[in-house]
Amino acid sequence: MKKHLAFLPLLIAGLLLGTFSPAFSGSLDSFKNEKGVLKISGGTAHIPVMKDAAQKIMTANPDIQISIAGGGSGVGIKQVGEGLVDIGNSGRKPTAEEIDRYGLKVHQWAVDGVAPVVNPKNKVSKLTKAQMSDIFAGKIDNWRQLGGENRKINLYTRDEASGTREVFWEKGLDKGNVTAAAHVVVSNGAMKSAVAQDPYGIGYVSVGHIDRTVAPVALDGVLPTIETVRNGSYKVARGLYSNTKGEPTSLAKKFLDFLSTPEGSRIIEEHGFIPLR
Amino acid sequence: MKKLHELVAERLLCLSALASSAITLAILAFLVVMGLPLMRAGGVLPLVYSPWAPFQGSFGIFPMIVGTCAISLASLVLAFPLSLGCSFLIAAVAPSAVSRGFRRLIELMTGIPTVVYGFVGIFLLVPIVRELFRSGSGMSLLTAALVLGIMITPTMTLFFCDSFDRIPKSYLDAAEALGASRTQQLLHVMLPLAKKGMLTGVLLALGRAVGDTLIALMLAGNAVQVPTSVLEPARTLTAHIALVMAADYESPEFRSIFTCGIVLYLFTLTVTFVVRAMGSAKDEAA
Amino acid sequence: MKPCLLERTTVLFAWAAGLLLTAAVAVLFGYLFMHGLEVLNLPLIFGKTPPWRALLLQERVFEGLFPALAGTFMLVLLAICWAIPVGLATGVYLSEYAGPRVRRVLDALFDVLAGVPSIVVGLFGFALAVFLHRHFSERIGPCLLISSLALSILVLPYIIRTTQASLEGLPREIRLTAIALGATKLQNIILVLLPKSLAGVMSGIILAIGRCAEDTAVIMLTGVVASAGLPKSLLSQYEALPFYIFYISSQYTSPEELQQGYGAAIILLLLCALLLLAAYGIRKGLTHLVFYRP
Repeated sequence: MKKHLAFLPLLIAGLLLGTFSPAFSGSLDSFKNEKGVLKISGGTAHIPVMKDAAQKIMTANPDIQISIAGGGSGVGIKQVGEGLVDIGNSGRKPTAEEIDRYGLKVHQWAVDGVAPVVNPKNKVSKLTKAQMSDIFAGKIDNWRQLGGENRKINLYTRDEASGTREVFWEKGLDKGNVTAAAHVVVSNGAMKSAVAQDPYGIGYVSVGHIDRTVAPVALDGVLPTIETVRNGSYKVARGLYSNTKGEPTSLAKKFLDFLSTPEGSRIIEEHGFIPLR
Repeated sequence: MKKLHELVAERLLCLSALASSAITLAILAFLVVMGLPLMRAGGVLPLVYSPWAPFQGSFGIFPMIVGTCAISLASLVLAFPLSLGCSFLIAAVAPSAVSRGFRRLIELMTGIPTVVYGFVGIFLLVPIVRELFRSGSGMSLLTAALVLGIMITPTMTLFFCDSFDRIPKSYLDAAEALGASRTQQLLHVMLPLAKKGMLTGVLLALGRAVGDTLIALMLAGNAVQVPTSVLEPARTLTAHIALVMAADYESPEFRSIFTCGIVLYLFTLTVTFVVRAMGSAKDEAA
Repeated sequence: MKPCLLERTTVLFAWAAGLLLTAAVAVLFGYLFMHGLEVLNLPLIFGKTPPWRALLLQERVFEGLFPALAGTFMLVLLAICWAIPVGLATGVYLSEYAGPRVRRVLDALFDVLAGVPSIVVGLFGFALAVFLHRHFSERIGPCLLISSLALSILVLPYIIRTTQASLEGLPREIRLTAIALGATKLQNIILVLLPKSLAGVMSGIILAIGRCAEDTAVIMLTGVVASAGLPKSLLSQYEALPFYIFYISSQYTSPEELQQGYGAAIILLLLCALLLLAAYGIRKGLTHLVFYRP
């Protein structure tokens, strides 16, 4: 949690001491007269962007407090539907039934992909879709069968609430079975650090989350990168969504609008996603 | 004749005692009410013995029950001899200065946060287990049980020491007068007399092992399967509750975690009443 | 007379077990300090913000443990505030007023409460939050208030037990002197018995503080989040130190962040160890007895 957020609850104290002069500029102008709390939860692929945006907004206006929690897309959709949070993020489009039931308003702000990843020490760097399905079904269970070391394959998957899991399962594994022997981790961040620490692990993360600690695996000859997602050659792609129950509150709307300002787009690009205008 | 404020005070005290004891029951009531619809739909038993496959509409918690049993029993197997040895050391074997210092250390250990155990476990123990056995990721039943075993050892040791301490000094004096060494007293006088108290300690430590969330959540790998070897990942009931957190309290997934809660609660209830029954049996014998 | 094989084995076994456990603790502390010692400094807590400005709430802390520490502090304070009056009153009632049958029943209930896993208490707290959200106010959800209430339930048995035990442990002479001089029962409790058993009560409270500070399972389900800043009100979500350690352990994004995790673990470890030593300093031998009184 690099971008640790704190805020200033006592604006008055700050004003009295005359040390407080927020620098409002450009994209952040609209937050000038806002105050209050914005609760965000759900999709874990979204978290780095949310945190960065929140930090910028809260630095510019100390009257705003933004709290960010994970949980997964399913949790985000349900919590926003129940009114427990203001914005519920999801890494998959909410289903028609969910939109209908909760009266959700869906707001897509980026395109992302879901990529299979292994430890950088692993020599296996490309797999076919069929091999991938067999690995996750537990039919291929040793790296030797794929030209790697003679070690058991350690599978990592995500919990039921994960949109990343749902997208990967649908488009990467063609809805194939995932064995119950797979380790379960709770977020994109946790998936990345689990695979980064396990030389014999394989899992899947949001393309935006890939860094040098994990190695993406080419699927049917296409290496998942932001470029291959952008040009459409890498097929396991998805949108990143932020959902509100009905029309967003004033603060939530400004937050979502901020994501499509040039400043917002820059943050989204910086974290490895393709911003939508 | 009591004054009014005496009566009021007594009522207030009584009220808070009732309120706080009612919490114990309220927890169970909440769990049952929230979990009821799922149980009613399919009966209680199928939930307990069927597998977890939410995409096929099966919300059984059988793998988690097995996971909890396996991890906590394995930790007990590790912790029991360790605690036995440590309590011997404190009660009879070590010179009194060492004994006192060691007891302090053990008391201190009861305060180590479980999340810290888990944290060190992930970065220190997991790679060791992975490379030592060259099988699996290192996040396994064994890893969690090892750390959990260390975690419950202090509690168990202190309970063992207590039951040694409760042995009347006259018994030990008698043994000493007959020429028994400290070790002989320990083996032939203290150990047989402290058996029941020690069993209490074991049961309460088991309760702690079953109830712990963080160590299993961080170290056991959380796979929803019935593990077939100690090197395989497993999921406990507690970790399952922590993992399946959705706010939609209509969904069957959500209701199933209340079933886990009920199972854990009933387990606590059983342990508590067994321990209490043993305690009162002892009182009658004395 | 030479000790027989069984005795020699016993002695050997005892020393081996003792050494093993000592080694385990040494490794735990050693490993943490080896990795975390160099980050134990003010920037760990305050990031790039000047400490006094952060403490006066004039400037937000990014990249520091300050919000997590402050969250834990507030959480503990609130939970203890809820738990102390109820716990003390219940302890006094059990020891001074309750008849044997009532006491038996209540004792059993508190034994159960002491044994209920913290995640189940957390689940209760979460269910309570959802219930209140649906039936009372839209504004209530998992938050600082709910977390502190749930934590107070978790530590209630600590305070009840220690209060009860130290009252019951008072010698007869102390109990009867004031009564003989004409004091009422209530006066005797407030002016004589409670002050006399203050040490035990205090140690119970300190243990409860330690338990509140370290518990992760309860708060995970009742409102702690990865990123929130200082809580604005009782209904805000918040950050906390043990949850931060848990979160970093699986989702650190850089070596620097992981180091902060080590730093946080050391801080929490020292905090809990100090609290425990303080509790023992005041009165010995109570920690484990919270679970059951033999």
